[in-house]
Amino acid sequence: MKRDIADATSISKEDLAKLTKEANEEATPSRMKIMWGEFKADKPALVSLFLLVFFILFVIIASEFIDVPKMMETNIMGYYNKPFSSDYWLGADAGGRSIAKELVVGSRNSISIAIGLTIISSTFGICWGLVSGYFGGMVDLAMQRVYDFMMIIPMLMTIIVIVTIIPHYNAITLTLILSIFYWMGTSRLIRSRTLAESQKDYVAASKTSGTSNFKIIFREIMPNISSLIIVDTTLSFAENIGVETGLSFLGFGLPMGTPSLGTLIANANDPENITQYWWTWLPAAIEIIILCLSISYIGQVMRRTTNAAQRRGQDQK
Amino acid sequence: MSLIEINDLKVHYPIRGGFWNRIVDNVKAVDGVTFNIEAGETYGLVGESGSGKSTTAKAIIGLEKATAGTVMYNGKDVTKAENRRKLDYNRDVQMIFQDSLSSLNPRKRIEDVIAEPLRNFEHLDKEEEKLRVLQLLDIVGLDADALYKYPHQFSGGQRQRIGVARAVATHPKLIIADEPVSALDLSVQAQVLNFMKKIQRQFGISYLFISHDLGVVRHMCKNIAIMTRGRIVEVGTREDIYNNPMHIYTKRLLAAIPETNVNHREAHRKHRLEIEKIYQEQQATYYDQDGMAFPLVKVSPTHSVALPPELAKKFEQQSESKGVNV
Ligand SMILES: Nc1ncnc2c1ncn2[C@@H]1O[C@H](COP(=O)(O)OP(=O)(O)OP(=O)(O)O)[C@@H](O)[C@H]1O
Ligand SMILES: [Mg+2]
Repeated sequence: MKRDIADATSISKEDLAKLTKEANEEATPSRMKIMWGEFKADKPALVSLFLLVFFILFVIIASEFIDVPKMMETNIMGYYNKPFSSDYWLGADAGGRSIAKELVVGSRNSISIAIGLTIISSTFGICWGLVSGYFGGMVDLAMQRVYDFMMIIPMLMTIIVIVTIIPHYNAITLTLILSIFYWMGTSRLIRSRTLAESQKDYVAASKTSGTSNFKIIFREIMPNISSLIIVDTTLSFAENIGVETGLSFLGFGLPMGTPSLGTLIANANDPENITQYWWTWLPAAIEIIILCLSISYIGQVMRRTTNAAQRRGQDQK
Repeated sequence: MSLIEINDLKVHYPIRGGFWNRIVDNVKAVDGVTFNIEAGETYGLVGESGSGKSTTAKAIIGLEKATAGTVMYNGKDVTKAENRRKLDYNRDVQMIFQDSLSSLNPRKRIEDVIAEPLRNFEHLDKEEEKLRVLQLLDIVGLDADALYKYPHQFSGGQRQRIGVARAVATHPKLIIADEPVSALDLSVQAQVLNFMKKIQRQFGISYLFISHDLGVVRHMCKNIAIMTRGRIVEVGTREDIYNNPMHIYTKRLLAAIPETNVNHREAHRKHRLEIEKIYQEQQATYYDQDGMAFPLVKVSPTHSVALPPELAKKFEQQSESKGVNV
């Protein structure tokens, strides 16, 4: 029987090489190209993308040149210095610390935590959702009860309690603690798509082809919901910037002496600051608004990329 | 010995409900199905939509858990997952799906689609594997440049042939074809069916051919089982079923085959209405009080029918008296 198949065709090495080359030329341009086309068709999103990339690179690189402990020292001479002076571009706060420098380092801290939080919580949420949705039945039931349990915990209160109990924590432990509480939304979304995807015949075909469950989940199903994953991750990134900021604002975020966007905004807790010393909190507030707006613009473009009916770009094939 | 023996196979889906989400009832999608498939033959499984054909197929290949009954292959019960693993069962038994588009992963190139069973069961090196895939494409009449395309770049007929190529990749002994052509138009149907027949001759494959179209089944199958509401109501050779149908359900299915000869159309229509009337009248006698078919009774060595008890008794007496005479 085997011989029959071997006789059936023969193809020369050159033909094979030619085909391979052709294939590589056509290789996976589509999705990236479509996305780029969408960005070009939506100017605000394009501006947002550049702004965001530039800004993130800037704060990461610039904060390398800032001596943080020295920056955080109190400097009586700079007490509430007005902005736009040569020493203090954006003025100084009650401790005479430069707002501009604090803003750069604070943005770096806040954005790093948001990125870390997004990576950890999304990865976990995606895996949880995929496994739960794929296996269904008892596995799904058990995993969803864990989900329910996490949902009914009063999240903010628990985080505050944990942060208060733990004696020493830094940006990394804070990210880990937050990650415990921010994977549920993603997992539910991914689970519902996976449930639908698992019913499709290509999954059955993979099973009858002897492919393992693990491979089916991550190599067959996951690529098919990748667009959903990208969109969800982008949007949860915007959300996660708010998480750390809000917590620091309340005074339970990063430890004292570590600037973040939240601690800067917390300057607004003082009524005097709100009216007289606006420069202590306004730049950080504006920055957060711009960041979140940019990310949501980018998220919308990605959503459109995944949904052919909503596309605006020209070269959509 | 038969290639595969399906014995009293049952697949029941629980219906949950009520306050505690308990099992309140069962959908008896498959309820006691028995038949054997011989090596190299095409066995037809026919029935209307919702009669449990796909569920039977899935239970045989191991995609659906059997509630009861056995599927014997090489002396082992392959309804158990560990036996399937031990036998490398899916190397020998493959499936062609009803919906060709949904059965091909839209994110994978055709090369990867067809090579999937090869990678899992045969572990060839890259070059060999590519050659095998090319040969398979050639067998189903597709060009080599299909290798790097994605499923959506093909027509329905071509996609179904890709499905056929994947199913034959590991040289299986049995291919379960679940309505492989019902989504295709007539000319393409013939094309795909002919490929399937050609491959059968070439490799000596058996098919379990599932369809609701008796015309197609006649073209493909030597032995046929008619299924309704999860049970088989009539089993026999092609001649038994087409020339001597005995269950009213079979008669009704046969009457529903469209008549191609224009001159006979009117007569055909009359015949169909007549059968429909008889069906409505006798429906109650041919199914028990739960609406299920009766057990099968042998009416000839090759032909069994789920006759109502009175008729069944008559046949038993007949065959007994014949037995005495001989
Ligand atoms: N997962 C499930 N849960 C509950 N009931 C199901 C499930 N799958 C199938 N059924 C029921 O089992 C019965 C048989 O379904 P099946 O898919 O086997 O029909 P079929 O003969 O293949 O029909 P078709 O010709 O339309 O493909 C149907 O009544 C269906 O509603
Ligand atoms: Mg079906």
